Amino acid sequence: MRPSSGSTSSTCGAQPLPPEPVAIVAAGVVTPIGLDLDAFWSGLLAGADGLSVIERFATDDLKIRRGGEIKKLPAVAQAVRSRAAALLVAAATDLAARASLEAEPARIAVIVGTALGGVEELDHALTLDPTPRRALDGLYDSPAQALATWLGACGPVLTVSSACASGATSLGLGADLLRDDVVDLVVAGGYDVLCRFVMRGFDALRSLARERVRPFDRRRTGLLLGEAAGLVLLARERDVRGPRLGRLLGHGSASDASHIAAPDAHGRGLESAIRAALAAGGVSVDDLEFVSAHGTGTVLNDRIETAVLKRVLGARAGAVPVNSIKGAIGHTMGAAATLEAIMCLLAARDGWVPPTVGYEEADADCDLDYVPGACRALRPRRMLSTSLGFGGCNAALVLEGAA
Amino acid sequence: MTSPGIQVEAVGLLTGWGAGVAALPASAHDAAAGRASILLPRPPLDGERFRRATRECLLGVAAVEAMLADGGLSRESIRGTGTALIFVTAAAYGASNVEWLAGRAGTLHFPYTAPSVLPGEVAIEFGLTGPYVILIGGPTATVDGLWQAGRLIMNGQCERALVLAVETFEECEALWRRARWTVPGPLVESTTCVLLGPGDVRPVFHPVSADAALGDEVQTRAGCTLACAPLVALALARAADRDTALVGGAWRGRAAAIELAVAGQPARL
Repeated sequence: MRPSSGSTSSTCGAQPLPPEPVAIVAAGVVTPIGLDLDAFWSGLLAGADGLSVIERFATDDLKIRRGGEIKKLPAVAQAVRSRAAALLVAAATDLAARASLEAEPARIAVIVGTALGGVEELDHALTLDPTPRRALDGLYDSPAQALATWLGACGPVLTVSSACASGATSLGLGADLLRDDVVDLVVAGGYDVLCRFVMRGFDALRSLARERVRPFDRRRTGLLLGEAAGLVLLARERDVRGPRLGRLLGHGSASDASHIAAPDAHGRGLESAIRAALAAGGVSVDDLEFVSAHGTGTVLNDRIETAVLKRVLGARAGAVPVNSIKGAIGHTMGAAATLEAIMCLLAARDGWVPPTVGYEEADADCDLDYVPGACRALRPRRMLSTSLGFGGCNAALVLEGAA
Repeated sequence: MTSPGIQVEAVGLLTGWGAGVAALPASAHDAAAGRASILLPRPPLDGERFRRATRECLLGVAAVEAMLADGGLSRESIRGTGTALIFVTAAAYGASNVEWLAGRAGTLHFPYTAPSVLPGEVAIEFGLTGPYVILIGGPTATVDGLWQAGRLIMNGQCERALVLAVETFEECEALWRRARWTVPGPLVESTTCVLLGPGDVRPVFHPVSADAALGDEVQTRAGCTLACAPLVALALARAADRDTALVGGAWRGRAAAIELAVAGQPARL
């Protein structure tokens, strides 16, 4: 990395030059199918199923008792008081093993996305532990603060909570901080914990799959929740000397303004976010070779997302592979978009695209190439990742492999 | 279309003390008279669409209405893809989360536990379909939000941006009392919305500012308003007819500030 400038102020608006390329130097994860990046990736390629009966909290009163639970955290995370912070520390440990975080501490930013933040700690604060520290743990930005402390990062610490699109927006904001020369390094990503709070909610809404998660499949009945953390190290392309995973070319977001919990029936917000990401990255839709879809496995999401992708990709829609990894690890909420971006870059690195686990039978409303069955030999160069969330949140990332 | 800079066009402010800057006391501490928190009541917004909406959601809607009134603007002027919505809060999700955890809320309340649903209701009410960012944290997060809003405008990704902050404390007062060493009282419930538009002056972002004095006037007059504080400072600057304002604050060991141009009253898009 280049030496830090030490600057603590930045004048916004050096654009509209072409956006400065931002490198995704390395990644670290902890997931239900693997406690580090290598295990996660080999699990995705093998079509692993990380969904299991939940053991960590009571589910007796719930209709659905399965999810993507991490059964045992890595040792480094086991002493961390909050499980949300523990997931971040585990992913950061994996990241730190793959890349150096050398920069002046004030020039390192931490930006993480989450749908649930420290809500499990709020539960503990209300019922089990009356100490002041536990009360603060319940704030949604506490896990990000804990991660920054663990990393020794003294720059901006941001928590994004665009529901299940958070892990995409966090990467986008990180790239913006770099482009404005506010910082030299950004640790960005997303996380969420599988806890009783959220299981009760989705169970009551009857959004959970009765059996397995089947994104885009005719028999799909819903999603299953999972827990995970995914982090990437971002730096300005010109500052990176060693290998990198790829580049974040553009990001976009948009509001549906139509419903608080369901996607817009026509997917207008998602389409706006995709087009904004492509425009921001200066990328033509004709250059896209692979799409990592949100693909929750709910009837509505998958149909709407397919329709949007067909509008955006046009005549090429049937020729561009689209996958969802939620059949393998569940819907990891704030972590999902980051993990999916990482998956895209690993596909570009290794020349293999993971299958959509659970997809078997075609649906007339979902008629794209969803990479059924097994991983496919393909080395996409430019890729799109899409995300949606409660509150009408939509986000999209345009990525490029390093090769 | 890109812009060389941005400026504050209008500000809506509602606090537990009342509407606007004029309602702020000279000393929040004295006016609180020993009360730990100052309530901002549920706005009287009627209609079928709001029958399930939480108090926090309605406070967000009310702040945008107040901003429109301040700028003499119509709802139509902010509708559509040209307006970005940046929402910031440290704690406004607490009330709905506590309700859900206590088992007092029905199934349809669950989505309201997500911080994104408050700005979601605001977006629905005003038809805001542009860029959309939701940040969690205190005044430093609001500074980050103002920076991002400026970036979106200057890069031509939107024509204008609303930066909205909402803070409520009443339902979680016991938790805040436990953590009182982190937040100087009184806690004053607030909702603020700033409209940013294109301008000639580039904002200057200080992500690691040690200038603790920035928040002093807001703290003295309004009390502790967490994420609302930088926007309250913009309201004070606008009321004082200042051309620029350096606003910011500290939160959880970090400080940040941003300097913005402020349009004179009344502003027009």
